[in-house]
Amino acid sequence: MIRVEGLWRTYQMGDHELHALRGVSETIEDGEYVAIMGPSGSGKSTLLNLLGCLDSPNRGRYLLADEDVAGLGDDALAETRLRRIGFIFQSFHLVPRLTAVQNVEMPMIFAGITPSDRRRRAESSLAAVGLSDRLGHKPNELSGGQKQRVAIARSTVMDPGLLLADEPTGNLDSRSGAQVLDLLAELHAGGRTLVVVTHDPAVARRADRVVVMRDGEIVKRVRGEDINDLNGLFDISSEDDPSKQDMNTAREGDETKAVVPEKPV
Amino acid sequence: MNPLDLLRFATQALLQNRRRSGLSLLGVVIGVVAVVSLTAIGEGALRYVTTQFASLGSSIVNVSPGKNETTGGMPHGIGGVPNDLTLQDAIVLERRVQAVRAAVPVSVSTDIVSYRERGRSSRVVGVTSEFQQLQRLDMASGSFLPESELDRGAAVVVLGHKVAQELFDNANPLGATVRIGSWRMRVIGVLQERGQQLGMDIDDVALIPVASGMRMANKSSVNRIMLDLYPKSDSKPVIAQVKKILIDRHDEEDFTCISQDAVLASLSSILAILTLVVAGIASISLGVAGIGIMNVMLVSVSERTDEVGLLKALGANQRQILQIFLLEATMLSSAGGLIGLASGTALVELGNLLYPRINAATPLWAIAAVLGLSLGTGIVFGVLPAWRASRLDPVAALQGH
Repeated sequence: MIRVEGLWRTYQMGDHELHALRGVSETIEDGEYVAIMGPSGSGKSTLLNLLGCLDSPNRGRYLLADEDVAGLGDDALAETRLRRIGFIFQSFHLVPRLTAVQNVEMPMIFAGITPSDRRRRAESSLAAVGLSDRLGHKPNELSGGQKQRVAIARSTVMDPGLLLADEPTGNLDSRSGAQVLDLLAELHAGGRTLVVVTHDPAVARRADRVVVMRDGEIVKRVRGEDINDLNGLFDISSEDDPSKQDMNTAREGDETKAVVPEKPV
Repeated sequence: MNPLDLLRFATQALLQNRRRSGLSLLGVVIGVVAVVSLTAIGEGALRYVTTQFASLGSSIVNVSPGKNETTGGMPHGIGGVPNDLTLQDAIVLERRVQAVRAAVPVSVSTDIVSYRERGRSSRVVGVTSEFQQLQRLDMASGSFLPESELDRGAAVVVLGHKVAQELFDNANPLGATVRIGSWRMRVIGVLQERGQQLGMDIDDVALIPVASGMRMANKSSVNRIMLDLYPKSDSKPVIAQVKKILIDRHDEEDFTCISQDAVLASLSSILAILTLVVAGIASISLGVAGIGIMNVMLVSVSERTDEVGLLKALGANQRQILQIFLLEATMLSSAGGLIGLASGTALVELGNLLYPRINAATPLWAIAAVLGLSLGTGIVFGVLPAWRASRLDPVAALQGH
């Protein structure tokens, strides 16, 4: 179980403070599939980074399987990311000079797993995403969908309980996006906890639960299957503040840029 | 991280940007080549001097008139030379100093040596028969000066190679009579060619008995006395003994007595210091190369910020990231060191082919120093970029900031 309580994340922007998260509390059950939605700058990526132990909150608690990880040191956080968390990024983040199988092997290198073991596990992980015939290909020899499948193989190769995906289909066409979503659904069915940040209602619809954020707070929680039209979600953001960017027209690229400030406090 | 994985990862990263890696490698290579070749030349010069002295005979003690300290570099005679060295001094030294195999009095003058219409201004050196062994002279033809009483000067001459060549071309000089000044001397031998040797050209001399030389120059003294010691004798006690005897005879220390060893030793130490200085200057270029490596690594870290972010997201800790980037810098510098050593050695060998007289060879200490230095360069100048990479904030790094 994942539980966050009263998470605050504040960045110092010049002489004023920017509150990316304002006291977020949420509980995610083991094996749950949760989508986080919200307009640009709503704090959803910040929340995902905190869940992924890439960042530490200024205030609040983060219990990962009953262990408070908010106060852990850098090395302990690295170890947590290595063993218990898998990341999937919008832009794949494969190392261009390494082959598919070498990319998948990377976390196992940091974990000190022997080369033969590593190879075997990387190959079976790639087989699970249907890329057995692309082991020796470098990222520039793969299509977007294949790259993301390599990244998914990499995120699961250490067998983490928690998978975090930031716009996993954001850079993909609808067909390969659907393939990736099928894979995520498979992983979820295999018992993994899955948290996905997305703009795409087609992604959110497949989640058990959708958490909607705005201005650093969770403003709405709905069941995934209830997301039939975006207007319902939209109301929240556009009603109170018509100047806010329309979610329909928001571009994925803006999202990441807007959320990450230049200098964390 | 397993060292092998680390090595492979760093290698792949370096190969990704071949040109940049290659250029910073080149900086190290140039520095190392400079150190390797310059020390090799220094070492070659040292060896050259040493072998030259060895061919002169290592255990020679020279006695010359005048005291260095009192004459203060002025020509002999001006500083005050009350007692010249005489033939009798030589006889006494040979008789009384145990370690002396032979004492050879030497008189030197310059005169025209001529045969028929050809003449050549040469050094006319008066010596004894022992001079041959002392200087390890080989005969091209004929024989060396015969043994005789010191004060008996026969009218015979042994010509150096060049003098014989000039006067006789290819004709046989043996038995011919040459003129030296107003004297007539019969040629009894010709020396084998030897070449310039520490400023003394033994090919351009005419050797005559010392008594004849003194008479020719109208002098009652000799220019120096060379003492040829028995092999393996220590020159220090010999010098002490010589001084004591001569002071006894002259009533004061109006001569200078030095061993060839001492000259060799001081010359060697000057050359060694010179080599060290030159190598030191050359190794500054290694420091410059180190800054080049640092620059390349800093650029590499900032270009690969998102990769560092990824490594962190995948679970690499700070130490592992530090290791990766430090190893890259170290590999650059040590590869540069090895390539530089190889090409520097090749350069030295090429130089040896072109100039075989100076047998240049990089001394072992320089090889060890240059390899250590290039490795150290990578570590020292790689630390800052690697440390920076390891400290990157993963969230910002993943965005490429």
